[in-house]
Amino acid sequence: MRRAFRSELLKFRRWSVLAGSGVMILSTAFIAYLTFHQITSGATGSEITPLIQAFPTSQGLITVVGQARSLIIVIALIMVTSNIAAEWSQGTLRNLLVREPRRLRLLSGKMLALVLFVIISAALTLAISAALLLSAAHAQGISTAAWTSSEGMRTFLALFGNEVLCLVGISLLGMLIAVLARSVGAAVGIALAYVLVPEGVIAMVWQEGSKWFPVRVLNFLPGSTLPSAVGPTPPQGYPVALLVALLWMVGFVVVSAVVFRRQDINA
Amino acid sequence: MTASPDPSQTELAADNAPSRTLAIATHDLSKHFGQRKAVDGLTISIPVGTIAGFIGPNGAGKTTTIRLLLGLVRPSAGSATILGQPLTHPERYLPRVGALVEAPAFYPSLSGRTNLEVLAHLGGYPRSRVGQLLELVELSDRAKDPVRKYSQGMKQRLGVAMALLPDPELLILDEPANGLDPLGIIQMRDLLRHLRDQGKTIFLSSHLLGELEQVTDWLVMLNLGKALFSGPARELLNRRGELVVEAEEATQLDLVASIASAAGYTVTPDNGSLRIACPLDFSSELNRHAREAGATRIIIRAKEASLEERFLALLKGEHQ
Repeated sequence: MRRAFRSELLKFRRWSVLAGSGVMILSTAFIAYLTFHQITSGATGSEITPLIQAFPTSQGLITVVGQARSLIIVIALIMVTSNIAAEWSQGTLRNLLVREPRRLRLLSGKMLALVLFVIISAALTLAISAALLLSAAHAQGISTAAWTSSEGMRTFLALFGNEVLCLVGISLLGMLIAVLARSVGAAVGIALAYVLVPEGVIAMVWQEGSKWFPVRVLNFLPGSTLPSAVGPTPPQGYPVALLVALLWMVGFVVVSAVVFRRQDINA
Repeated sequence: MTASPDPSQTELAADNAPSRTLAIATHDLSKHFGQRKAVDGLTISIPVGTIAGFIGPNGAGKTTTIRLLLGLVRPSAGSATILGQPLTHPERYLPRVGALVEAPAFYPSLSGRTNLEVLAHLGGYPRSRVGQLLELVELSDRAKDPVRKYSQGMKQRLGVAMALLPDPELLILDEPANGLDPLGIIQMRDLLRHLRDQGKTIFLSSHLLGELEQVTDWLVMLNLGKALFSGPARELLNRRGELVVEAEEATQLDLVASIASAAGYTVTPDNGSLRIACPLDFSSELNRHAREAGATRIIIRAKEASLEERFLALLKGEHQ
């Protein structure tokens, strides 16, 4: 597995991989700054009111940075799904399996590297967005004492920790979709369609059932660190949401492992 | 003139081959995709230290067979051993196998060197091996360029370097000469011979029959997922050549024609001579019978069939 991990690290030199990380950082920073600008420019409305209320508190920084969390989830899902599925589309999977025929070791090493990359990207994203907001606040003479207080730092780390858990789950979902779809186009299409339809449209009309859907449950984890009016906070409670999220992750791993181990590689 | 003996019988000379260590041995190996039988009861043997040509028309099951041998697809039935290890445990033999399957596949935005390093890391081979192989396939000066800028021939050479990464005992190459220019093909031929001389076994799938004829000492012929022939190349080529018989007197040729026809071979008169489609070792028997019959002033010349002719003859037999 260590060899597969090291081998995968070399592939991160590809511009397409780095571009995914770049898009995550830039778009999140942009949305965070836009939210900051709306709040500080005196915008009003029911949607922004909870943000305005949270802004001067120790949760102010994560409330603004967290506005692009859904985007981080979608980008991470696409990054992982396309990266794994590309091994089938490009035909490179056969090269890898000839050199490492123990398929689960190959998949584990690859996933470990990908998850690490996604987490580093997310960490950079949160850090850069936070730095941008702090700079902007200083520039406008807005006090950031609450954000940088020990309580502010604790909430920031809680957000980051739960974001990591969420992204691990999202990455495992991406792995499952890629292993089942076996092509970049199909895998990314299925991933996006899943996020939009079952997790988006169906969730709007069936809230009670949809609170158990995987992306929604995973999103509850970092959402639980934000003010309840901002959320999304887990209606089933954090411990239950965490347990369900872990069960989903185990499910994704088991199904992916069983399918990948028995799959014919015709790519 | 009579019909020649039925060549459509599967000719598995390997079964009669002297017992040698086998690099590849399959027994009733099959792979079905739904109703379609891509490989159907394939039984072949390839001795260690040979260059074995693997030929067959498109859709014959060559690539599926190669994928089976590499553990990429699971057999529907049958068994095989590769380098003495069972097909069911590819991790036991693949570290000693190098492979190039179909068109070489690489990460287009990574350099040729990085592409090889990815596989070197995965296989646990030293990085110095990458440089050596790039040198061997003459890609050192383009090693830092992204693979998307490589020509087809360069990709093919990089694919060969990839296959040689583990310094393999068995090399499985699927159409390695694709996209190579004539000089590249000659270099590839020399490389294969050089590797064979080092004791490596090479299983070589190719549509370039003339090229295969020059380098192979073992042949496996496949059609519709079944082996039409598996054995020494020389045996196949000798098995069904052509004898050309010349004589000054037509009566002597008539005697020879009747002897050959009686033996079941096709005889074709050709401008004062006879062409007899038969195994080349029939010449001594023909000569003896002709002398006994009084045809003492004849000249018999043996003409080997080309691999292409044998291939077509076997396929024709299969379809009849």
